[in-house]
Parts: sequence; C-alpha cells; structure tokens
Amino acid sequence: MIPAKQLINEIVTSLREVIAPAIAEPYPKAQAYMAAVILEFVSRQVEERSDIEHQKYVVMLDLLRDLARLPEMDRVIRGDHLTEAGLCELIEHLYAERDSLGEETFATANRRVRQALRMLLDQDLKVAGKAEG
Amino acid sequence: MAGAPTVQEKIEGYLESKMPRARGLALSDFIHSAGGWSHEIYIFYANWTEDGRAMRQGFCLRKDPGAGLLRELSSLREQFRVIKALEATPAPTPKAFWYEEDTSLLGGPFFVMEKVEGEVPNPWSRAGKQFYAEAAKRGKLPRSFVEALAALHNLDWRAAGLDFIGVPNGGKNFALREIAKWESLILQSARKPEPVLTELLMWLKANGPEAKRLAFVHGAYRTGNLVINDDAIAAVIDWELQVIGDPMYDVAYVLSDLNREGSPLLSCVVEREFFLDYYQQLTGIEVDLEVCRYYEILYMMRSTAFWLSASGLFAERRNRDLRLARTTYSVPVVLDMAAKALGF
Repeated sequence: MIPAKQLINEIVTSLREVIAPAIAEPYPKAQAYMAAVILEFVSRQVEERSDIEHQKYVVMLDLLRDLARLPEMDRVIRGDHLTEAGLCELIEHLYAERDSLGEETFATANRRVRQALRMLLDQDLKVAGKAEG
Repeated sequence: MAGAPTVQEKIEGYLESKMPRARGLALSDFIHSAGGWSHEIYIFYANWTEDGRAMRQGFCLRKDPGAGLLRELSSLREQFRVIKALEATPAPTPKAFWYEEDTSLLGGPFFVMEKVEGEVPNPWSRAGKQFYAEAAKRGKLPRSFVEALAALHNLDWRAAGLDFIGVPNGGKNFALREIAKWESLILQSARKPEPVLTELLMWLKANGPEAKRLAFVHGAYRTGNLVINDDAIAAVIDWELQVIGDPMYDVAYVLSDLNREGSPLLSCVVEREFFLDYYQQLTGIEVDLEVCRYYEILYMMRSTAFWLSASGLFAERRNRDLRLARTTYSVPVVLDMAAKALGF
C-alpha cells in the first residue's frame, strides 16, 4: 500500500492545486483550502500501524517452523524467507520442487502456506476495510 | 498577443489538415471526458461546409497520456489498426479515421474515430444500474448484448487481418501468454512483495486450461464498454485488451461477479441462463464452466495487476489522479476474492 503520509500529502496538493482553484463559490472554496491545511497537521499525527507488521512477522515465523517439520522441506526453506519477499520466493520454490517433493508433501506444505497467506491477507484487510470483526 | 492554442484549437487545426475540402471547420460540444484511465478522451462535433453543403460529424479522440494504466502494454497504434480491421466485419465498432504518431501536436500519440451516437451508462453508478435493469426487463438489450459478443467470436479473424495482434500456439499457450502479460505489468508496478499474488500466479501457471478453439476476444466485454442506442449495442468500444484466444475468456468475464456488483444480472443486464443458452445457440460454442471458472480467477489476478499499476503510477508521481491512489486499497480486496476462490 502507498504510505499514509505520502497519500495525505498528495491529497493536500490536489486540494490546493486542482480542487480549490476550480471552485467558484467562496464558502466551499475556503473549505477546500482549509481541508488542505488541516490535513497537513493530520499528516504529522499519523504513524503507520506497526502492529500489522508484527503480526505478519509472527505468522511467517510460525509458518516456517511448521514447514520445517515436513519431510524434505529442509532443502526448500531458508532463514531469509522470513519476510514477505522471502515468502514469495518460498512459494515459487515449492511449486518448482513439486515433483521432487511428492504430491503429498507439496499438498500439505501448500495448505499450510495458504493458511498463513490467509492470515497475512487479513492483516492487510484491517486497513483496506474488509476485515471481519 | 494571442495565447498558446487550446487543445480544442489544436484538434481543430489537425482536422483541417486531414479534411482539405472542408471549409469553415469549427468544433462544438467539446468535452474532455474523465472516463478513461488509460487514455485521455475528447468527444466533440465538427461542423463545416463542403461543396456548399453544411456537414456535421461526431468524433472521439483518444490520446496516450504517457502514463496510462497499462503502461507499456498499451498501444494506440494497435487499437487503431484493430478498429480499422473491424470496420469491414459485422462487429459493431466505430469507424476509425486517423492515427497520429507526431507527439508535437497534442503531447502524445492519438487517434480519431467516429463518435457513435448513443450512451454508455456507468454500470457502477446507481443510475447506470437502474438503466440496465430497466432495459433488461424490456428484453431487447440483453439479446443485443449476446449478439454483439457472438459477432466477435464468430469473426473470421484471419480473413479480417487481425492476426497481427499475435496468435497463440495450441494447448495451454493462450492462458500462459495472458499470465505472462499481466505478470509483466505486475513486475513494472509492484512496490512491495505480495505473497498471496505469488501463490495466485503459481496456481494459475500450474492449472492453465487448453484452449479448444481460438477466436477474436475483446478482453473486457461488459456494460460500460458498450455504446447503447435504442436498447441495442451500437458499438463495442475500449479496444485495449483484445487478443486472439480462447472465447471462454470473454464468456468468463461476462459470468464474473467482478462486473455486476450486487446486480443479479450478468454485467447488470442479462440473465445467466439466457446468456449461456443464446450464446451457445449463436456461436455453436459449448460453454465450459470449469474453464470459465479458471479464467474468472485469472481476471482477479488481472484486476490486481491493474490496481498495482494504477497505485504504482500514483506513488511514482507519474500520474497525479487521486482515483489511481484509491486503488492501493483495492489490492487486498481483490486478492481476498482470489484467495476465497482458491479455497483459503
């Protein structure tokens, strides 16, 4: 996702340079400029949610621990898979090694990966607004 | 001292150069449409006299803004050639007039085509949904919707000279080509790794269906990309994603939930059973629902690619349209749809 501060700053620019100048009526025009001013203050108050990154880290750590217990997986898993970029590589590696791992191991590992992906997605959906609860 | 010429004046000058017999050419009803995300769109009428007769013609001009949604995948030249090739076929399309590569004229390549009379109600809006729901009850538009799609799929695309857009080899090649195309857009656009998208891509590559036949496929056949006049499809527009490929690719797009947002009707306009029966009757092509399901999931990957490209263009400051910024929040939502479709 685009960082929150960057988004706010772009909206401020749009309010000042696109929206407000196009408004003829004085009251809504002043409101648009004031919205830009307030958003600049809000931008200073905003911090990205660190709890989401922490939860993602925990999900990935649990995933690698569980996968390491499966047969033949020691040659697939690496320590640097403990990031979202690393997880992408791990998924590609799993599919590439599908034949040599055997269908049963692949299916078990893929099921566990998907379980983790579900949890990662739920973290992103906390921001995107579709998470349950 | 006169100021710099406006876009309208520049277009007027361009048309004068292309229509040397026109006298007193002037544009009217000039609109810069905010509709397109990939191209800048201008709609207007030209009024002139020719051999003493008053003339009037509606035009639509599509211009490459330089930072469109499809980035390097979009080719205005190809679109122009496709529309030109379709002129001689039964497919309802606008007449294509001129393609212009010279970027000094309007700041980017552009082409000019006929403005087909009719309307293009936005299916995502309340008014649009109501328009299509009422038209569906009258019955003519749903039939026309299927007939226009069948006209595309029944086309002899080789005879029409459309094979220049690329012809896949047999087997799974079509699906794999589409995946590769959208993966290239993802690679150009993604600002952070998306493991769910990686799983989606790997699943798609491992499960691509074999195309049983090849047809001329629009690639985004839905309401919103169709000009409607008197409850009939007057023109199919938005020629950006067309391919020679599996006709199930278009059928899946019509069947997809992505294009009806709460409406019980496919593409907000046609009942599912009627669509399937009438399409099969008109084309003789048997609809394979399992293959369609695969392509529906591929469309979810494609939507993700669109949203990553859109939000990426904004984040890279190549396009300042706030509508693009909003799509950064659409990525997890569409990935959620894909994950559910894959069972997780």
